[in-house]
Amino acid sequence: MSKLTIAIPSKGRLQENTHSFFGRAGLKIQRPGGARNYRGTVKGLPDVEIAFLSASEIARELSDGAVHFGITGLDLVHENIASPEKSVHIVTPLGFGSADVVVAVPKAWIDVETMSDLGDVASDFRNRHGRRLRVATKYVNLTRAFFASHGIADYRIVESAGATEGAPAADAAELIVDITTTGSTLQANNLKILADGVILKSQAHLVASLSADWSDTALAGAKAILDRVAAEEKARDNRVLKAAIADHGKALEALAAIASVQPFGNNEGQMLGVLCPKDSVADCARSLIQNGADTVTVETLEYVFTKENSLFSPLAEKLS
Amino acid sequence: MPQSSLTTGDIETVLTLFKDAGHDKVSPPILQPADVFLDLVGEDIRRRLFLTNGTDGEDLCLRPDFTIPVCRLHLENGAAAREAAYCYHGPVFRQRADGLGEIPQIGAESLGRNDFVAADADMLALSVEAVRRFGLSDLDIRIGDETLFVQVLKGLDLPVVWQRRLRDLFGDTEKLSEALSRMAGGEANKEDERRDVRLGFLSALEGSDPAAAHAVVEDLLSIAGISAVGGRTPGEIADRFLEQAQLANGAGSNPKAAEILRRYLAISGPADTAVRELRAFAAETGIDLSEPLASFSARLDALTAKGLATQTLTFAADFGRRLDYYSGFVFEIHGLNSPSDEQLVGGGRYDKLVRLLGAEAEVPAIGFSLWLDRIARITGAGA
Repeated sequence: MSKLTIAIPSKGRLQENTHSFFGRAGLKIQRPGGARNYRGTVKGLPDVEIAFLSASEIARELSDGAVHFGITGLDLVHENIASPEKSVHIVTPLGFGSADVVVAVPKAWIDVETMSDLGDVASDFRNRHGRRLRVATKYVNLTRAFFASHGIADYRIVESAGATEGAPAADAAELIVDITTTGSTLQANNLKILADGVILKSQAHLVASLSADWSDTALAGAKAILDRVAAEEKARDNRVLKAAIADHGKALEALAAIASVQPFGNNEGQMLGVLCPKDSVADCARSLIQNGADTVTVETLEYVFTKENSLFSPLAEKLS
Repeated sequence: MPQSSLTTGDIETVLTLFKDAGHDKVSPPILQPADVFLDLVGEDIRRRLFLTNGTDGEDLCLRPDFTIPVCRLHLENGAAAREAAYCYHGPVFRQRADGLGEIPQIGAESLGRNDFVAADADMLALSVEAVRRFGLSDLDIRIGDETLFVQVLKGLDLPVVWQRRLRDLFGDTEKLSEALSRMAGGEANKEDERRDVRLGFLSALEGSDPAAAHAVVEDLLSIAGISAVGGRTPGEIADRFLEQAQLANGAGSNPKAAEILRRYLAISGPADTAVRELRAFAAETGIDLSEPLASFSARLDALTAKGLATQTLTFAADFGRRLDYYSGFVFEIHGLNSPSDEQLVGGGRYDKLVRLLGAEAEVPAIGFSLWLDRIARITGAGA
């Protein structure tokens, strides 16, 4: 009988972006009592509960099964969850919070461009300095897995909670593994990213816990949420094209060669309506004109609900 | 799941066997400084350690093995180079996905013996006898020897970089064969394409007088006003930069040496035939293996004298441990009829360990551990 619980970031830019993401899907998050309250609701969905948590906690709560859904970065999913493929399901990327987890070394290391260079330096470092090469990072698990995949074993991790990029200058470490959006902080600290040193391209994702208590109420709540999220996504990615055309069959055939379009609306008489991917709108319009249309109009849509929910079905399958 | 279905009587029998062979029983502390293990074994062990903190913030761990704690005990209680033999029984702690990470072990270590060959034979024979006392007789005994590999590397006249790369990877067959492909010229080129821009500069440097080139690179770094070089000196960076120049000019790809190494690493089989194969390999390639081969044969003779027929031992040229304190002879014992291929005993020579722990010089040392949980599973399954 448990409600569907969604964990969302409790402060900062991630929180704002999350609110606007839900807002676009027509879901209004309410936080009675303001920023001090750690529980909230979604307007019109009484069976859904919101938990406001810090970003790194969300990944852990998901793997523990304490919440059903969470909004968190891929970096935190991979760092904090031992085997993500077993304990969580990545529902969909959200288009914000993009950042890369990278290996960065001092620019002065003109001899180090790739991970294999770094491997050479690491294995020679102890001979020369009597200790292992130090890597400052908060991504202990990601670093270890990435270095192991490159066959590098001669290093030590120095855990760093903040301002990791300053560690080499402060002689607390020789190099770092950190998250960066533009690379400007690395630049400012005279660090460069290795050519093959991108460990993970991260952005905020809607993530589902596989170990949470998925009661019928929770599943129904998930379906209601994902219906709206998927409908908004589909509306955002598609446009409706309308034109007066004599031969519908031929026109549709021509369109099919350009993109995956589907007939849409009341296609009786001459009027033809199709749902078409946003990126192919101009090409499709051109094709319709070549097939006899005088004018093509394009409309944006608020929501596109479909019988088959592309976000809910894969989740339901994993849970069954 | 019971910790071990072996009886106290079984354990006592084996401890008595060790004591009769001159090994004193020791009980090193369960709590150990985590730094020692991370430094010696590498970061990869961190995910398996049970970590905790002392009140002063020191990172502590539950001992993940016995060898390092026993050696620390040895160092605390007297001169590092003294001859000593120890045995132990108790749990080691390693995080694992299935089951609790508390694993019972029993084993023995021998430090300070300078008669290497005899010590190797004594310890392998002792471990085999210990396993037999637990009621297992169909054993698959595997041996390896890194000194042979090192000698082959030396004999190939490879650039220093490649000698170091390959030696580092010895013991990890997959990574080692990847590296050999790179050395053969396959992948090296792909990677070097990224360096195209710098290649011209590098080749210009390569042709010049090494000392002058070194000075140029060092000067460049200081002109750029680069002071914080992240713990590496400009001289060190210049060294490696020139090393790359050498590699970029073709010294890097060496298909012939890669082929010879592949041939060497493929040698495996019963120890007595392996010796003949190794001799033939040395003769064909012209690599002088006489010294390590003499020790290898002497060790086999000593084992025969102890009643271990050499045809029952399996040698594999690529068998080693990717831990840099293991320096030579290594062995493993598996059950011949056991359902899984887990090792029941792991052992080997670790002459470098005591020095890495703080002694002034290397101390000859060899030891082994029995995985009692696995032995219990096999003997239990047979009952």
